[in-house]
Amino acid sequence: MNLKQKILLIEDEKNICNFIATTLRAQNYKVSFANSAANGLSLAASGCPDLILLDLGLPDMDGISVIRNVRKWSHVPIIVISARSQEREKVEALDAGADDYITKPFGTSELMARIRTALRRFTINSSIPASDQSRYRAKGLVIDYDKHVITVDGNIVHFTQIEYKILTFLSRNAGKVITYDTLLTHVWGPYADSNNRILRVNMANIRRKVEHNSADPQYIFTEIGIGYRMIDNENL
Amino acid sequence: MPLTTKSSKTTFNLQSLIILLSGVVIATLLAFLFFYFVPENSGNIALIYILVLIIIVRYTDGYLPGLIFSIVAVICVNYLFTYPYFELNFTLSGYPITFLEMLSVTLLISTMTTNIKHQALMIAKQDKLLSETEKEKMRANLLRAISHDLRTPLTSIIGASSSYLDNNIFLEEDEKNAIVTHIYEDANWLLNMVENLLSVTRINNQSSTVRKTDESVEEIVSAAINSLKKRMPGVSVDVAVPDELLILPMDAILIEQVLINLLENAIVHSQSSRSILCYVDDDNENVTFHVKDYGIGIDPERLKDIFDGNSYIGNSESDSNKGMGIGLSICKTIITAHNGTINAKNHGQGTEFYFSLPKGETSNES
Repeated sequence: MNLKQKILLIEDEKNICNFIATTLRAQNYKVSFANSAANGLSLAASGCPDLILLDLGLPDMDGISVIRNVRKWSHVPIIVISARSQEREKVEALDAGADDYITKPFGTSELMARIRTALRRFTINSSIPASDQSRYRAKGLVIDYDKHVITVDGNIVHFTQIEYKILTFLSRNAGKVITYDTLLTHVWGPYADSNNRILRVNMANIRRKVEHNSADPQYIFTEIGIGYRMIDNENL
Repeated sequence: MPLTTKSSKTTFNLQSLIILLSGVVIATLLAFLFFYFVPENSGNIALIYILVLIIIVRYTDGYLPGLIFSIVAVICVNYLFTYPYFELNFTLSGYPITFLEMLSVTLLISTMTTNIKHQALMIAKQDKLLSETEKEKMRANLLRAISHDLRTPLTSIIGASSSYLDNNIFLEEDEKNAIVTHIYEDANWLLNMVENLLSVTRINNQSSTVRKTDESVEEIVSAAINSLKKRMPGVSVDVAVPDELLILPMDAILIEQVLINLLENAIVHSQSSRSILCYVDDDNENVTFHVKDYGIGIDPERLKDIFDGNSYIGNSESDSNKGMGIGLSICKTIITAHNGTINAKNHGQGTEFYFSLPKGETSNES
């Protein structure tokens, strides 16, 4: 597999474009640019990129609309670049179909890690049959989806139905941020109360069972104001 | 009540008119009642009018309403309640004296109440002026501190990068690396600063309040530790939260910012390699977050006003304190906006910063 993976960068700030492009090229990706949403959409359609990096603050179109537009015809991974303290915007982007977000300013190592995770998740979902994805493993935590058994450092831990549902949903989407709303809808159904207190309580219980120190977690991380992210599956 | 003093002596606004008219009606009705039940003692009637007069003067501005009321009262008393009834007769013996009495009472009371009102207004104005200058001073201090703190890393970034560009060919590989590392560190420091300043914009300017939602304490603490570790890899922090889940109304981003600031201060300024201790405890009303270091401690002189943002401006220009002032004054602003308290103390082996947030009534909005 010596084919370079193609990344489309939709960003209007030239300096940011340059540094991202330099890094990506150094890491052996092929990069194409668009400095506006319209440009980006046409390049996304014609260039068939393997991943899209999208800045939310574009001059001509709302970033969220770009995501919706792309999602109409493609499942290509989209990583959103956004400023800090705009949780609402990030949540909207994730709910509209973005795979991940990265907050400005970011280091290149963080960016590369996100890109690798997103690309890997995409290839797994599209190429590995579901039957091979029957186990989740990260550090000492193993989830066996077939047997409904969860072990922490080799010991079987018991969970309630709801807790198991939350854990499996997060672990099947490991590495990806899951918004509060997505999680609520998945576990409690579409008519769930939007008050996420019940989610907090369940998460606290899960953490008491899997983490050694719930204030310094190893498996499930909180993205404040947005949702939860579970550590990558090492089994794949 | 209108607060204008200059115009109130002459203008006769609607409110005063209504008060005046209702005063006349009420006083006359009361007088009729008295006249009906105890017709023999007509002295009560004058007293009723004087009572209502005092009330009117108290709740209207200037002399005019009181003056008009006393004339009306004198006429009413004469017309309605003294023999011959329903006729004006100013030739009754002593009537000019009654008239003069009413008039002087009115004038006296009017003058007194107007004076009192005027004084109250002056005091209120003075207070406002004082608090405004205080605010202005704080703003100026903060601005000065910010400019100073921003300029230092910027100077170093510009200097380092131009030195790199100018001397590129003469520099050894490790020298280049050192220069770029410095630029990176200073830029990160600047970012930290800007994030702090930005977080203040989340606080409502007029009411100094924040948008609170129910948050789980352990999630906030873990998120703060997590972003600290991202920013300063290799730091060691011991964390502990109560076993019971604590849910508090707060602006999560801001409280995370406070925790990050305190942790970062502890790491940078304690000059100790021992782990920082971060723990949470609670009582019936408050949840308290502690950040404890085992370092050199803080000069008690500085401890007093360490949250005021200007503690480092005067005395030493030493670089070891850079940014500490602003970070802490922003912490204070954030905690105050949450109706909490923040404090610092030396605990013998180092410094402890701690802040408390009220448990309050957890709201249901999300």
